[in-house]
Amino acid sequence: MRKKAAKVAALALAAAMVLSACGGGSSSSGSGDGGASGGAASGSENAGSGDNASSSGVGEASHAITDLVTYESQNNEQEGFLMQNTEKSADLNVLCNVYSPLLEVNNKGQLVPAVATEWGTDDGGLTWTFKLRDDVKWVDYNGNVMADCTAQDWITGLEWVMNFHKNGSNNTSMPSALIAGADDYLQYTKGLSPEEAMSMDNTKFLEMVGIEAPDDYTLIYHCTQNAPYFDTVCTSACLYPLSQALVDTLGVENMVGMTNEQMWCNGAYIEKEYINSNSKTLVPNPEYWDKDAQRFDSVTIRITDATQAYQLFENGEIDHVSLDESTLRAIYDDEGHKYHNNLAEMRPRKYSYQMHLNYSKNNEDGTPDDNWNKAVANEAFRLAWYYGLDLTDYWARYNFIYPLHCENLAYTMKGLLYFSDGTDYADRVVEKLGVPASDGETPRRLNQELFEKYKAQAMEELAAEGVTFPVEADAYIAANSQTALDTYNVLKQIFSESLGDDFVTLNIGTYVSSLSQEVIVPRKQSFQINGWGADYGDPANFVDQERYGYDGAYYAKNYSNINDATDEDLIATYKEFSEMAEKAGEICDDMDARYDAYVDAEVFMLQHALVIPCYYDVSWELTKINDYTKMYAMYGAQNYTYKNWETSVDAYTTEQYDAFKAAAGE
Amino acid sequence: MAKYTVKRLLQSLVTVLVIATIVFLLMRMLPTDYYFTEDQVMKLTEEQKNDQLMAAGMLDPIGEQLLRFYGQIIRLDFGTSRRIQNGQPVVAVIGSKFTVSMRMGLISMAFSLVLGVALGILQTRNKDHLLDHVGAGYTILVNAVPSLVSYSLVLVVGSKVFGLPSLYSTRNVGESSILPIICISLSSVAYYALWTRRYMVDELNKDYIKLARIKGMATKDIMVKHVLKNAFVPLIQYIPTSLLLTISGSLLAERFFSVPGMGPLLTDAITRYDLNVVQTLVILYASLGIIGVFLGDVAMMILDPRIKLVDKGGTR
Repeated sequence: MRKKAAKVAALALAAAMVLSACGGGSSSSGSGDGGASGGAASGSENAGSGDNASSSGVGEASHAITDLVTYESQNNEQEGFLMQNTEKSADLNVLCNVYSPLLEVNNKGQLVPAVATEWGTDDGGLTWTFKLRDDVKWVDYNGNVMADCTAQDWITGLEWVMNFHKNGSNNTSMPSALIAGADDYLQYTKGLSPEEAMSMDNTKFLEMVGIEAPDDYTLIYHCTQNAPYFDTVCTSACLYPLSQALVDTLGVENMVGMTNEQMWCNGAYIEKEYINSNSKTLVPNPEYWDKDAQRFDSVTIRITDATQAYQLFENGEIDHVSLDESTLRAIYDDEGHKYHNNLAEMRPRKYSYQMHLNYSKNNEDGTPDDNWNKAVANEAFRLAWYYGLDLTDYWARYNFIYPLHCENLAYTMKGLLYFSDGTDYADRVVEKLGVPASDGETPRRLNQELFEKYKAQAMEELAAEGVTFPVEADAYIAANSQTALDTYNVLKQIFSESLGDDFVTLNIGTYVSSLSQEVIVPRKQSFQINGWGADYGDPANFVDQERYGYDGAYYAKNYSNINDATDEDLIATYKEFSEMAEKAGEICDDMDARYDAYVDAEVFMLQHALVIPCYYDVSWELTKINDYTKMYAMYGAQNYTYKNWETSVDAYTTEQYDAFKAAAGE
Repeated sequence: MAKYTVKRLLQSLVTVLVIATIVFLLMRMLPTDYYFTEDQVMKLTEEQKNDQLMAAGMLDPIGEQLLRFYGQIIRLDFGTSRRIQNGQPVVAVIGSKFTVSMRMGLISMAFSLVLGVALGILQTRNKDHLLDHVGAGYTILVNAVPSLVSYSLVLVVGSKVFGLPSLYSTRNVGESSILPIICISLSSVAYYALWTRRYMVDELNKDYIKLARIKGMATKDIMVKHVLKNAFVPLIQYIPTSLLLTISGSLLAERFFSVPGMGPLLTDAITRYDLNVVQTLVILYASLGIIGVFLGDVAMMILDPRIKLVDKGGTR
């Protein structure tokens, strides 16, 4: 008996040893902290797509996967279920599936009807009328019809947004700026006690705010100014509907904290399951108005560590994974790798990344960094950066196969807007900048001759002002991110090789938990590389962020701090740019003319290197989803709507993806 | 015993209150910007921020806030979460998670105790022989190798060799719990083996064991009735605390396998400035820790009647 017990114990020990001994092996795959991390992936739980797929073949243009599993990284967990109350992409990426807006976008980024079948303006964007479908229903968690979805629900939704005590200040910026009386209502509710404000119905709101519903299926918005782009705002969370009947049922005080089991949906799916930190499951809404839409039988969104995603894909537990640089290299460099022919280059994400220079920088001790502030105010200094920085190695961190695909020459994101002749707004900017055509090898903006000219000029002018060289430039990264450190070490090397150690030295600093509070608010950065994704489809949403003396200018207020700069030439340049942008915004009757005017303002801004375009986020993936069939808007909250997605049983090949890209004309 | 219990209970209440107060004050000492998300810090105007802080009572005098906090504790009203699950009562947020952690923790603890103590006994029986060295090697390895590396390898072996799910799933709780439980148990098996061996070896060298041997007592009886029992006294002191704190889950393993448990909750709540969740968890963990220590003392006293909790010199 004793021997038997000893044997059992020894076996258990051996088992534990085997598991533990594994710990001495090589380390796990690299962090996915960079641009390649996060995002969505798809697959079918545990058994891979094979269990859930139809018999369609590889690459067949079909809806092959019926039960989809997407993933989000752990810091992208959904926090709430009320669309109006959240601005967080992790929430919106799920909620866009359960709520239907007035308008949607297609896979080319064009606005298409959703609940609104017709829409338009007769007065240059001052008044917008939407005709709504009459067959849209609100359903509960079990798919039971609870109420009709009518124009009243958009009024309730907007009242909720603009009522301070109901919604804090979430999602108020666009309605405040665009809808007549909306900001007044926000201020009015602020002045009320919480009890008074929470008990308000729509009566006072309709008196004060420019929104009306002449009948159940007609909705009219009155704008504060001519807003020819107002229809694109309809894709944002602030203009989603909220069922008045649900508010009456749950009570105002319970709305923000409602659960997935309490919410009512009018979108493509119902959120059937929500397990915080683990998963969410969507099932089709049986009463969905778009009967022709292809939907999955279920969509499961798993929360997982991005570093594990590749292995999950390999195990067949998910069908899509964004690849970090090291994994991409391992697959690409090994011709025998099983995924070597399945590498797919993603469509650019909707963010245009810029190097935002700080014109009012402080030292660590809070005193102004005069050396930097004088240097950056000098136009030749900035232009030396603009023409001299060869960012190829930096782009290679995201896309080492085709780093030049990440090259960003304009400020506004490409694909956001098109002229009436089909020309992309961003392409027009590049054309007017006079950037040479690509030779496929060197960055188009790079110009050694101009760089040397401006460097010499800057050093001469700045030395006369007492600036010491090399100028120290400070950039900050998260202290716990090895990926960021690797990326910024590459950037440091680029500064050294491109600009010269006699001219500029890049210092890499770190913050512990909050970039905004530890770096941006105290103005410690010399520059910050940041991506902007549009809220709506107009160049104003990009260009106006840099305007001098403009309250709504996000970047001017937070990053460039231009309003606190003291250099007169710099301020004069900024003012000129800002006037151009302001005048462009006043053109509302001719969209081509409006866009052209904005192009001129943007070109002026870039020619003076007030901001330096940096990169597009174009990384690589392994996927069973044809990204070119997804909604693809450069604004709004709908790109994650799991509707009409084409999928394949096996991972698409590189060749197939190239064909998709060519067919999309990209 | 009753007197001792009441005294410890009162002391515990004071301790919990002091801890809760310190945490409350520490969280309030952070700049108010931490109340907002990264986006909000930059998008909201100072006026908008002030409006929100005022509406949340964050700008009230600290004494007033503290009194309000005490009032909430007395009413057992722990408020709502504002970031982890926006608007949900904190009790509901924690309630949905602690059962998962506790279930997994209890299984892991049972597994670790059985395996760890057995390993410790085997090592003692085979002191300085192969099995002892193997056990020591295991202990050293588990402690030396970073957890994330061990977990990754358990994941690779588990999923590729045995076909086990890589992530926890509520639709397949049994199978998907195996890898997280193994990972949680790795270090506690080593812990119990190490300390069982150490205390048993200590006991084996004591005079009363030598006397028992001389008197001809069977080795098995010596090991079970004397050595193991006495060696277990210091170990059992920690078992109630470990049992109770299974609720708190394992930060790393739960994150790694996407287990929807309590493990990452406190750190998440702190980094996201979810004050009510932080305060509730601190009170909960402090209470459980204190109760665990008390129960450990009692268990020790039961196992070894020589230990007195109330007599002079008998208390710890």
